[in-house]
Amino acid sequence: MEVSSRRKFLVLSLSTLGALVAGVAAYPLFRYLSPQPTGGEKGRVNIPRAQVGAGQAHFFQFRGHPAVVLQSAPGVFAAFSAICTHLGCIIRWLPENGEFLCPCHAGRFAGDGKVLGGPPPKPLQAIPVALSGDNLLVG
Amino acid sequence: MKLILRFLPILAVWPLLFLLSAPAPAQVPETVCIQCHGAQSGRLGEPVRLWKGSIHAANGISCHGCHGGDPADMAMAMSPERGFLGKPAEEAIPGFCGRCHVGVKEDYLTSAHGRALGRGGPQCVTCHGSHAVRMATPDLINNRDCTRCHDYGRANEIKSAVSETDRRITELEQSLAAMHRIGIATREMSGELFALRNRFHRLFHSVDVEKVRSRTAAFQSELGTIRGRVDAIEEELKRRKLWGGAVVALLVIWGILAWLLHRSYMDDKKAG
Repeated sequence: MEVSSRRKFLVLSLSTLGALVAGVAAYPLFRYLSPQPTGGEKGRVNIPRAQVGAGQAHFFQFRGHPAVVLQSAPGVFAAFSAICTHLGCIIRWLPENGEFLCPCHAGRFAGDGKVLGGPPPKPLQAIPVALSGDNLLVG
Repeated sequence: MKLILRFLPILAVWPLLFLLSAPAPAQVPETVCIQCHGAQSGRLGEPVRLWKGSIHAANGISCHGCHGGDPADMAMAMSPERGFLGKPAEEAIPGFCGRCHVGVKEDYLTSAHGRALGRGGPQCVTCHGSHAVRMATPDLINNRDCTRCHDYGRANEIKSAVSETDRRITELEQSLAAMHRIGIATREMSGELFALRNRFHRLFHSVDVEKVRSRTAAFQSELGTIRGRVDAIEEELKRRKLWGGAVVALLVIWGILAWLLHRSYMDDKKAG
């Protein structure tokens, strides 16, 4: 093979391989930096307001995870992840005490999600909630 | 040779990195309870020695977590004024342990075991022991222990009903722990599995074989969902290894081609 065409072949091969390696290396980086799908409007949950009485909590699934919406005082709504921040058990609402309790290790949370006692290291994760007519729009 | 010598220290500390990546047990500060009782022999020192190998010690739950009192004041450590409870009466044990293990207490109290409390029925300590408490497994249901009070037949039925699900839970825990060690975020799945394990172990405490059988399918389905996610991550890891290998091969080929190109210029230079 002539020297110049041999060199052309080598340069072309090097460029192609370089582009291929760069592509393979860049793809995971692109995937890592891409924003996570949040579900947008579709990720929101509509709950009829009548389902959440005053002082009552309503449990539902939010983006595949258990969540709870609470009417702590008439017209005051708050929504949280229903997953205890200690080890991941599902909390429950004790209307007589006005607090959440984790049945696994007795973690206690107030109606605003703050830790009242027990082993949980941080408050319940809050989820935005808004009134929309007769519905509660969570997410 | 020089290259090998340069990388030798890295190879030497490699096993150490694996040790460091293992989850560290919770640090329990040495309370006055441990200082005093730990130094004693016999009946008064035994609880400390037993507790040291327990799941409570591994998770940082010390004497005062159950018995109350003041762990920082030697004089007032066992004062009822500071909430010292001491050793509970047998009938009070479910309430004592149930301050933390709320769900289990509820299921136990409505079970045949719980209804027999105070009339010779077993309580928490009968099966789990008091200070050397270990992570609960179906092995706690065994001929030797159950036949202290009744025939083993029904207990064995419960054990058979729970063993397969419990084995799958343990297997998943091991898979998640292995993934965690190599830096995969497993907190969410570990939480889900812990919650499931806790609910499933609560079911044991009902000592109702029909209830256990009827609910096991739902637990197995949930386990299947978590297993599917774990399998997907493991598949992804395999794919990454494959792609990693392909990239290394491409780089080697790239290096050879670059060397050939370089040599062609060198040959020209020599030829003048």
